[in-house]
Amino acid sequence: MGTVKHLDSVMFLVTTRPDRRDYKHSDKMIKRKMYTYKSGIVQIDQVTGGFDSGTNILILAPPMSAADQLAYALTKPLAGEYAIVLSTNERAAEVVDAFKLAGADKRFTGVIDAITKSSTPSIVDTPRLMFVSSPTDLTGIGIKFSNMVETIFEGDFSDGETGLFPPPIRFCVNSISTLLMYRRLEVLYQFLHVLTAKLKKIEGVGVYLLSSESFDDKTLSLIKQLMTCVIEVKVEQNVNYLRLRGVSGVNGEWMKFSVSKGQVTILP
Amino acid sequence: MISTGVSGLDEMLGSGIPKGSRALYSLEPGVDGQLFMISTLSCALAKKLSCLVILPNTTVDAFRNDAAKMYGARLDLASGPVTFIDAIDRERIQKSSQSPQIRAREWKRRIQKLCRDHNVDVVFAYFDLLYEEFGLDTATEIVTSAQERDRDKKVTLVIEHLNLEGAELLDKVINEGKFDLVLAIRSSFRPFPQFNYFTLVHTSWAQLPVRSVPFIIAEGRVIPYIPRIVVTGPANSGKSTFVINAADEGHSIDRRGFGGDMTTVALDFGWLRWKDFDITVYGTPGHTRFDPLLPPYLRHAMGVVVVIDATKPDLLPRARHLISLITKRRIPYAIAANKNDLPGVMTLDQIRGELGIGGEIPLFSITAERKSDVNFVLESLVDSITQFSY
Repeated sequence: MGTVKHLDSVMFLVTTRPDRRDYKHSDKMIKRKMYTYKSGIVQIDQVTGGFDSGTNILILAPPMSAADQLAYALTKPLAGEYAIVLSTNERAAEVVDAFKLAGADKRFTGVIDAITKSSTPSIVDTPRLMFVSSPTDLTGIGIKFSNMVETIFEGDFSDGETGLFPPPIRFCVNSISTLLMYRRLEVLYQFLHVLTAKLKKIEGVGVYLLSSESFDDKTLSLIKQLMTCVIEVKVEQNVNYLRLRGVSGVNGEWMKFSVSKGQVTILP
Repeated sequence: MISTGVSGLDEMLGSGIPKGSRALYSLEPGVDGQLFMISTLSCALAKKLSCLVILPNTTVDAFRNDAAKMYGARLDLASGPVTFIDAIDRERIQKSSQSPQIRAREWKRRIQKLCRDHNVDVVFAYFDLLYEEFGLDTATEIVTSAQERDRDKKVTLVIEHLNLEGAELLDKVINEGKFDLVLAIRSSFRPFPQFNYFTLVHTSWAQLPVRSVPFIIAEGRVIPYIPRIVVTGPANSGKSTFVINAADEGHSIDRRGFGGDMTTVALDFGWLRWKDFDITVYGTPGHTRFDPLLPPYLRHAMGVVVVIDATKPDLLPRARHLISLITKRRIPYAIAANKNDLPGVMTLDQIRGELGIGGEIPLFSITAERKSDVNFVLESLVDSITQFSY
């Protein structure tokens, strides 16, 4: 990944990088156009150009599907981008390995780990790996998220390497299902409401995994209210299918897909 | 009184939290405010007060590690008089019964037993899981059961709560008289930088105005932060000298004027730590040609010092004009009548009369070359800022 200079080079970046759109003159002020996050799925990117910043995507999937890999593929940071994963069911090291396998630069990937600390209370935070005591600890999760975002903005995240500025951040929760096991729906809804709103403010994109089989309609419908679009996943005869809801221009038909090394391929 | 460990906050509260009262630290999601509770706990332990910490969402070991990382070696959780109820106890209580009433009774029983066995003076409780499980009334009853057990003992209660309902919840607990102190710890989640502040929303023991103070976390401490005090006044009144003597570090951008004397042409800038506040001071140029700079300086100022030359009555109309700009913006301010070591100094009454200001505006006769005089003005202004009703 190429080094992109911080702060001093903002104007240079926004006017020369192909994936960062130009400033545009309006009547009274100069306003930067929103950043667009490539999904990596050709069929989506060709039609929409990718996900607009501030998009929150719910992946609704049954257990034992390729939903985890799909979520990580959508969260994988491209050149100049950053990723933060809130991991409620995998240790930070496992998440980092999964991203590495998907071809992500680990210097641009951070994990908020809600698993490890319960067995290793003395574990120490680093700029890219932060730990909360358990998935019940919403106070800690909120603080670590803010701290990690701030670290990215301050340029202290990636061992001296810097990405674009303002930093495009992909955020993934793997998964809401685990959080729902520990906290009541209404509480989690309020918490996610704040989190998704913050993500919009920083012009990030969010990917949230939720099991489609473990919760009632009320739960699914309340969580969907916080989202911009939904990717539904199903498995039939060991083949994964997905369909998109809420992305204009993309048809809502079921499509076969596979994920390999962080690349999502729509199969014929 | 129990100190919060945040000197600026203690001063606002009148030296801390009164014994036997109930304090609520309400945290907005994402705001780095856990140090308020930890520093209050540390102060209680330093005074050898016996403490009970209720930690429904974590284990004692994880809490010790987190607290040590946040607060350093100053927090003596290992040998201090402290006992815990943690997530493991919560799990046991949850497994003990399906009935919320029975579980609530079990919580109260355990809290009261620990308070009795350890003669607890202060209870610290992380509230949000209890609130979620039992609702506001029962959860409050659980954590206040220590106070109910022995009213003469005057057990103090300090609660940290992740407040997902915002002002609605705060209004409710204040209206119902559930807490004596309500401190809201908030952040404006701007991308860069994040901006944290605390608001003193309610105190039952004094009629204090609602006030907000930004803070930073540094060196394991909560440091109230006054991001901008502006020092203004007519030209050659001694503003640069004031800023330089106020600051631990300061700079002035001056050029030689037509008369051969040095005059500020850009701004004076200084940074200081005063009474546990981090303060940044900006001095404006005094000449009228720089007046367009003033509104943007004043826009985000939390306080203003108007420096005047007490030997030059002819410059007071200019000072009066500057004061009118400040009062329009409702910013607390103090006036420093400089050069009191020179002949021909006006009296303070004369100055008040000429400037048209009442006795409520702090006015000090100083020489800006004396650091102690400058500090006196700043102390008064910081007091005004922390007591100002925004």
